[in-house]
Amino acid sequence: MKLRAIGIRRFLQVSSSLIILGLLVEIVSLMWFHPLAFVLFAFVGIALMGLGIFVYLASLVFAVSPPAENHE
Amino acid sequence: MVPTGILIPLIALTIVLAAVFFVRPSITRETTGKILAFVGLCVLPVLCIATGMSTHMQRSEQTKFCISCHSMELYGKSLYVDDQKYVPAQHFQNHRVPADMTCYACHTDYTIYGPMKDKLKGMTRIYLQYVSTPPKTIHMSGGYSNLQCLHCHAGARNFEENPVHLAMMDSLKTNQLSCISSGCHDTIHNTSEVTNLKMWGPAQ
Repeated sequence: MKLRAIGIRRFLQVSSSLIILGLLVEIVSLMWFHPLAFVLFAFVGIALMGLGIFVYLASLVFAVSPPAENHE
Repeated sequence: MVPTGILIPLIALTIVLAAVFFVRPSITRETTGKILAFVGLCVLPVLCIATGMSTHMQRSEQTKFCISCHSMELYGKSLYVDDQKYVPAQHFQNHRVPADMTCYACHTDYTIYGPMKDKLKGMTRIYLQYVSTPPKTIHMSGGYSNLQCLHCHAGARNFEENPVHLAMMDSLKTNQLSCISSGCHDTIHNTSEVTNLKMWGPAQ
């Protein structure tokens, strides 16, 4: 499937799910008082959120917008 | 430590907004929806990352954070040795450094990127602990710099007027003569002896 063929809805769903997962990881890392909590946040949480942001930004460039409504 | 202040409401708000776009992505058809999507899927997550990083950095400055690592337990215990010859113990027990940031106060590099360098060194130790083989004896890379002592002691009257210090001030300031290996203040953590020593009250 070509990137342009993917609708903006799919992009937004993937982006938001990645961001939610990243934020859940961040919450776990903040509740866990251990040096590994930083590793979890830095390598898993930030990676998931960063990927989510990237997918959202990619949607602005590549996604096919839904057809405009006809107001005539 | 449970993070308070802005971080938890910020994370909650971001999760709610992201969930809205997961369930109803079609709201981005309207201009308001597009703006909300930019805020919820770009601006707020970036703020969450920055605030989370800042919280983690502040948390790693705490004494209890450092000694939560198994290999640091004896170093933490050495802060409670009931012997004023032990440099870390006398600094900790007499609050010459903030008690909740004792390790950080004496081991950080007081430069603009000091905390970042410390974090990278900490990551190396985590790698050694969990992936590679941890060394039997922990050594500080590059040794202990006098600058960390002088950060507080330089300019202090009892340090500057001490005739022993006066005689070697230049060597101390240029790090040619170490404060801790010169036979002057050489009783540091001594972790091999800590378990056999008398401890100060709060440790018992």
